[in-house]
Amino acid sequence: MRLLALRRNSWCRGRGTLILTSGLLALLVLATTPLQLVGAKSKDVPLIVYSAQGYNINSVKAFQKATGIPTELVNDSTGPLLARIAAEANNPQWGLLWVDGDEAFAALDRQGTLLKHFEPKVDWTAAARRVLPADHSYIPTGFTLACALVYNSAAISTPPISWSELTEPKWKGDLGMNNPSISGPTYPCVAGIMQHAGGVSAGEKYLLQLKANGLVIHDVNGDTLSALNAGQIKMAIVQSSAAIGASQDSSLKVAFLDPETLLPSVIGIDSKASHQEQVEAKKFADFVFTQAGQHQMKIGDPHGDSLYWPVLQGEQPLAALPQFSSVPYQVLNAYKWGPKESAVNTWFTNNIVS
Amino acid sequence: MSILSVRGRSAIRGRESLRAALGLSWWVGLALVLVVPVGLFLLTAFSPRLLDQGSAWLSVGSFETAIQSGVLQGVFDSVLVGSITAVVSVAVALTLAWWVARTNLLGRGIWSFLMWAVLLSPSYLVALGWEQVLVSHGAFWDLGFRVPWLTNLFFGPVGVTFVYITMGVPFAFLAVSPALAGIGREYEDAARIHGASRVGAWRTLVPMLAPALWAGLALVFAETISDFGVADTLAASSKFPMATFTLFSAVDNYPVHYPVAAAVGWFLVGAVGLALLLQAKAIRGRVYGVLSGRTRNPVRIQLPRWGQVVGLVLVGGFFVLALGAPILGALTSSLLKPGAAHLAVAELSTVYYRQLLHSGSLIAPLEFSARMAAIVATIVAVLAVGMAQFLTRRQAGIGAKFLDLLLLATIALPGIVLGAGYIFAYNLPFINDVGIHLYGTSLLLGMAYLAGALPTTTRVLVGPLAQIDQSPVQAARVHGAGPLRAWTAAVVPVVSRSCLWAWLLTFTGVLFELPVSQMLYPPGQFPLSVAITTALSTYIYGPGTAMIVVSIVFALTIVAAAMLGYRWLTPRGWRKVGVAQR
Repeated sequence: MRLLALRRNSWCRGRGTLILTSGLLALLVLATTPLQLVGAKSKDVPLIVYSAQGYNINSVKAFQKATGIPTELVNDSTGPLLARIAAEANNPQWGLLWVDGDEAFAALDRQGTLLKHFEPKVDWTAAARRVLPADHSYIPTGFTLACALVYNSAAISTPPISWSELTEPKWKGDLGMNNPSISGPTYPCVAGIMQHAGGVSAGEKYLLQLKANGLVIHDVNGDTLSALNAGQIKMAIVQSSAAIGASQDSSLKVAFLDPETLLPSVIGIDSKASHQEQVEAKKFADFVFTQAGQHQMKIGDPHGDSLYWPVLQGEQPLAALPQFSSVPYQVLNAYKWGPKESAVNTWFTNNIVS
Repeated sequence: MSILSVRGRSAIRGRESLRAALGLSWWVGLALVLVVPVGLFLLTAFSPRLLDQGSAWLSVGSFETAIQSGVLQGVFDSVLVGSITAVVSVAVALTLAWWVARTNLLGRGIWSFLMWAVLLSPSYLVALGWEQVLVSHGAFWDLGFRVPWLTNLFFGPVGVTFVYITMGVPFAFLAVSPALAGIGREYEDAARIHGASRVGAWRTLVPMLAPALWAGLALVFAETISDFGVADTLAASSKFPMATFTLFSAVDNYPVHYPVAAAVGWFLVGAVGLALLLQAKAIRGRVYGVLSGRTRNPVRIQLPRWGQVVGLVLVGGFFVLALGAPILGALTSSLLKPGAAHLAVAELSTVYYRQLLHSGSLIAPLEFSARMAAIVATIVAVLAVGMAQFLTRRQAGIGAKFLDLLLLATIALPGIVLGAGYIFAYNLPFINDVGIHLYGTSLLLGMAYLAGALPTTTRVLVGPLAQIDQSPVQAARVHGAGPLRAWTAAVVPVVSRSCLWAWLLTFTGVLFELPVSQMLYPPGQFPLSVAITTALSTYIYGPGTAMIVVSIVFALTIVAAAMLGYRWLTPRGWRKVGVAQR
């Protein structure tokens, strides 16, 4: 009996040792694995693209295939990308930034972060020329609208066509929008409303009127459109690509208020990148405006960012979009409205979100 | 004789030198992984110019801006919610742990497993799930359960605290459960022999759990005030500003104001410092070593039928509250057809799951994150045991106190602090000039994951390790075992289950980690969380939610496999520690 106990004891100890040894071996194997995973940062990758565009994976692959230039992508939402760029301030690692909205680019330009005086030799549309900055520190690659009106056609037969109509009692409790403090693309929408109203104070007064008329605020596009689908609201103002994308699968329809605010997708090049990387970045920007580049932008995210209006004369948008000439629009001065973002968002959260 | 003593002294000196060298390298490693990145981030609050985050070399302007942005209200809200959450979570966790560990409640294995499911649910998913369920015209509305007062109550401090409690319970459970299992039968018997009722006996036992209870309280408090998922969704929608939302606003709006974010960070560290002071005061000078060689396994209480019913309602009720809404939210998002208006059987479809499997877009991120998580979890499980043992030494000196503050401060700071701190520290031009290019590599990402996971995991292990009496180790040494052999023979079996939980906690945490991943992931290698948030950023939640569901199922499979592996592979004696007997 005692022998049995001793044997069992010794077996248990042996088994324990075996497990410990296996654990240590596993650790060794795992510790050596990172050698493959880690590696040193390759010196053969000159172009690092930071982008939030839904079609960026397609564009990067096609560019690399067409030019042979090794290109690596950091694909994320605009907020985290800009936070990353700010943290890299004393030693930037990015070569090219490609996101929606030119306010951040205006701020980067003011800090001297963007390469100036670069403009691809293309035939711009009139709207694109209005967005190009005087020092050519960034370039537009497409347009969406910051505040398209998407409505439930089963509940609304004749949608409003002007901003002032939205404050009328007949639309009480019917309208929803996103919180600009949480949804990045909503700030240009709010800024556009304020510009159209005549300034920040007039815009605040108008938004308070909307609130008094039952404006419903959700966090982001998904929540607002879910509320629209569920019947909680009858119409919503969201970015046009989201509005048109949502209308493709449902009874939702899209209308454009007068005026709509242009929301350009924008490319900027790092002024502190090496000369070689800047050359590569310029080639990337040139590629975006080629037929192949435009094709990739249109097929990369057909229910989202691909629903844009081109900035090139003669280039057609996807069939789901109406002609750009039918849309009444205004342009925001990015250098003027960019610095107001934080204050406007804070005011909105404190006064409109309920 | 004198030659021998000279040799002996020299051997002792050699051992001491080795110990000193190991100790020094340990602190240097800790400094590189934790102190330098976190310290540099916090330093920008006073010296923005130091890291090109402003023009002033020395300024308190960031604190003024933070205060003007309402940080004091945010900190007050966070501390209040964090305190309530910590107390309630630990109470709920202790109750659940008692039912699962000390009674013969049906489905004990399932309840432990479900606790991991709660732990794995991302906080924003829990908050969004409840929002979708309770919002007017939401899932409850569709099901005919229309209660406007509940909706109003939920979209406010009560709802925020409720969601945090459901998320805090698993952390408290991990800290408390092994400790509860470690209190042997002799203490209960002693109390009963001296005339205590069953309740009275528990009144005697609960103070013995003090290290684990305080570890749980501090952990849940720090996790709550650093959380961002609920602060950014439910709390922001409810006009209930939390400190992390103020921090996020400083970083998310352009131009990015890291110094202001750092100032908010100082307030969070201050709040944690206060919590630690309370903890230190509560357990100062007491000894909690109850797990010795003489410890007898506790007796499992045989519940009558009505006891089973009460237990199942209580334990099952918690999981319904904790998991019901996120599951309903995830299912309504991922299984409803595109454009479907209401929750109805006819509107269900697996289209998003089929698209996901067809595109293969999840495979590479899942593989990358799973490998990183396995590596980091293995290293953390080893390091955390050492650190927890260092923290629970009876002669804990200034080093242990500093380490305790450092760990809890790191937990209290949101992940974005760690991410930005790593860029500040390891992207400095002079580091590149000497040929070190860590930023943009998986190695740096792994280091940051380790820095993020080590504090929580160490904290979870503090409770169980504080209970280990030194007598088994001393007995092993008396019988001729060396220090390592004595430790592996006497301590490893006792802490093996806790180590497994620590490994799983780290593995699952790293698998879904978002802020650090976003800031540090190497170009071209997308972590799982980044792939999911990119998918969720479109107006359709379906593909992103389907990714979350598949990833959680994967993680739960790993948890189940690890638990079964432990049961099948470890010696029986390891598994007997703290397991109640019939």
